[in-house]
Amino acid sequence: MNTVKSPGVNCRADTLVSDPGYQVNVMLSKRERERYKRQMMLFGDEGQERLKKANIFIAGAGGLGSPVSIYLAVAGVGTLTVVDKDVVELTNLNRQILHNDRDIGKKKVASAEEKLRAINPDITVKVIDTTIDESNASRLVGRADGIVDAMDNYPTRYLLNDIALQKNIPLFHGAIRGFYGQATTIIPGKTACLRCIFPSAPPKEVFPVVGVTPGFIGMIQVNEVLKYLLGTGELLANRLLIWDGMTAHAEEIAVVRNPACISCGAGPASKKTTAVNAKKIPKGKKK
Amino acid sequence: MTIRIRFFARFRELLGTDIVVAVPKNKGLSDLIKEVASRNKEGYDAIFNETGAFHEFVILMQNGKRIETADAQKIRVADGDEIAVFPPVAGG
Repeated sequence: MNTVKSPGVNCRADTLVSDPGYQVNVMLSKRERERYKRQMMLFGDEGQERLKKANIFIAGAGGLGSPVSIYLAVAGVGTLTVVDKDVVELTNLNRQILHNDRDIGKKKVASAEEKLRAINPDITVKVIDTTIDESNASRLVGRADGIVDAMDNYPTRYLLNDIALQKNIPLFHGAIRGFYGQATTIIPGKTACLRCIFPSAPPKEVFPVVGVTPGFIGMIQVNEVLKYLLGTGELLANRLLIWDGMTAHAEEIAVVRNPACISCGAGPASKKTTAVNAKKIPKGKKK
Repeated sequence: MTIRIRFFARFRELLGTDIVVAVPKNKGLSDLIKEVASRNKEGYDAIFNETGAFHEFVILMQNGKRIETADAQKIRVADGDEIAVFPPVAGG
């Protein structure tokens, strides 16, 4: 397996940590070989088997979680765990492409499970209808190989960041507003963590959004997950990608670890008021 | 001296971007951003609080290097500097 060529970062996912209690037959069936034929031209049996073995935790089944889960499913990532606690509303449907009109009033995870299983019955889809908070985050993430941040608030993002650091698994960050988006890949111990980059959360708001923005950023996140699992390409490690859909410019900003970071550095953990010390994370939901 | 200021996301909507300004030597970074942001009150208020300090969440970069907003008052800009000012976006 090739190492990932990122500036100053040598990352690969050749030791997947997926739940050993869940047995995955990594041999590809005839049907799977046919399904993935065109992408196996890129990364062969070994790559496809690596995807099949992987378990990715998707925090949120909304604007980002929809395209993320759909494309991870069609790529053949073997186990997807999708967590959300919301119900599908009409106002979600301009962007949350996992859900459609007839799902209004349904739990998002029920809608997600139905769609993802229909999209790819050859993978395992696990859904959990709950709010991610300090009391359950570690258990929910379990032995996933990576966390996709598809949340809509920083308190829960900081919590997922801390869990990723504790478990030494990557966090694939994405966030959007309007026509703008940002993404980065956090590899514990090797890159800046989310708090190094964003020490303080922006104010909470009902954010404007057009569906193409989470679509675009979600694809960046999925692309990162696949490269990480395959151990190929160059990750968005220590690089914050900033997308401006209005000008169709993608830019990147180099980011570095903060030695005084309260999550991954030497900073006082007592300042983590919105993350692990918070008894209850308000609205750990995805819109 | 000529300095280029680039706002991102919400700040860009309110203040524009790629703003090139001519400033005298020894101009302070914080003062420079305040002056440019003053063109639009909503833009100014999005970046600075009522005491004139940067909001905690504002990210500031000088030539690609992160600057602590608390240090911005004492940092001087230099000819050709590119300053980036942006808020993290939160939606998903």
